[in-house]
Amino acid sequence: MADDATTTDDAPVEDAPATDEGREAVLAELTEHLGDAVVDSLIKPGLGLWVRVANEAWSETAEVVRHKAGFRFFDFISAVDWLPSPYGRYEDATVDVPWPPPMPDRSQAVPGYTGGDTRLQVLASVAKPGTDLRIHLKADVADDDPRIGTWIRTYAGAAWHEREAHEMFGITFEGNPDLRHIYLPTEFEGHPLRKEFPLLARVVKPWPGIVDVEPMPGEDEAEGEGDEG
Amino acid sequence: MGLVESGKMPKPLTKLLNLSRKYSVWCYQWGLACCAIEMGAAFASPRYDVMRLGVIPFPASPRQADLVIISGTVTDKIVPSIRRLYEQMPDPKYVISMGSCTNTGGPYWDSYSVTKGVDQIVPVDVYVPGCPPRPEALIEGIVLLQERIQNEDMAARWKGEQHGEPIVLG
Repeated sequence: MADDATTTDDAPVEDAPATDEGREAVLAELTEHLGDAVVDSLIKPGLGLWVRVANEAWSETAEVVRHKAGFRFFDFISAVDWLPSPYGRYEDATVDVPWPPPMPDRSQAVPGYTGGDTRLQVLASVAKPGTDLRIHLKADVADDDPRIGTWIRTYAGAAWHEREAHEMFGITFEGNPDLRHIYLPTEFEGHPLRKEFPLLARVVKPWPGIVDVEPMPGEDEAEGEGDEG
Repeated sequence: MGLVESGKMPKPLTKLLNLSRKYSVWCYQWGLACCAIEMGAAFASPRYDVMRLGVIPFPASPRQADLVIISGTVTDKIVPSIRRLYEQMPDPKYVISMGSCTNTGGPYWDSYSVTKGVDQIVPVDVYVPGCPPRPEALIEGIVLLQERIQNEDMAARWKGEQHGEPIVLG
């Protein structure tokens, strides 16, 4: 084998290639089948592929991704609430959180890769077995009535994920006939993973902060003394 | 049983009966999270071996149990089941709350789904703190509970009048 090697690739591993043909081919295939429904996309060469699609094309995207592009492995469906927390960072709070808290400005929301126009986004991840290819798919859902198509006709395993996203964020997956609570008690009210959901224990008593941390070995002993309590 | 409830038991007999109860505590296990591993170590491993203390951790149902050890994170969803199985236990019955989560909610003190202390739903006799407590701590809780059983007024306990201050370890 050593005789065959005429050249040696000494390039360090961290020099990621400037282009990523595998992921670009996947993106081209998606764009070919979905057309304008691909709103935005991002390729990080050697790392990942993010695609934002239109809300109406969500179910169709699953079909294309699985049956045309061959991404048979369904990883998860979840959602993201990009609204800044009305309660601020509890950990840093020095005073009690006012009640009711002021709602933050929607425009302060900073969407992640491939952007976003709404507060809530649905997020899904699929992978192609036998390769290191994976697609992170996103779609916006309306603020006032969050709705999106279901994936259960393509990936049966998506049913439980959609139930969880439904109870945690209040997103309705049209076509999923069984959007009962999955983790929460049946009679639970509210959507706990939305940013405005109050954690009542923290409203009653602010996070006490780190109170009894011992200094690391070698650290100045005096640093830890002020936190006793 | 009429004699016990009337409170007219002769003292030596009370002592004898309490001794018997103390060393045949049938205990059923409510393992809900990682504390259950420590409870399993205390109950099932030869290293700790609670049976030498007269604790029998294998009742077929709560209807045969004297003691329940609730160990782990109590969520609002499991609360009805805990209450229901507690109510199925015959009197006199005892509860050991094992671990920070069961005592107060522990690291999940601000969660939307965790009950902040099992004492909100059942009366607790012994609190064992720790995250999780070592098997030795649980066994200490059991021994302290046995001491309480030994010195109990049986009539009051039978009628549910005497609960006493809970024992808090540590």
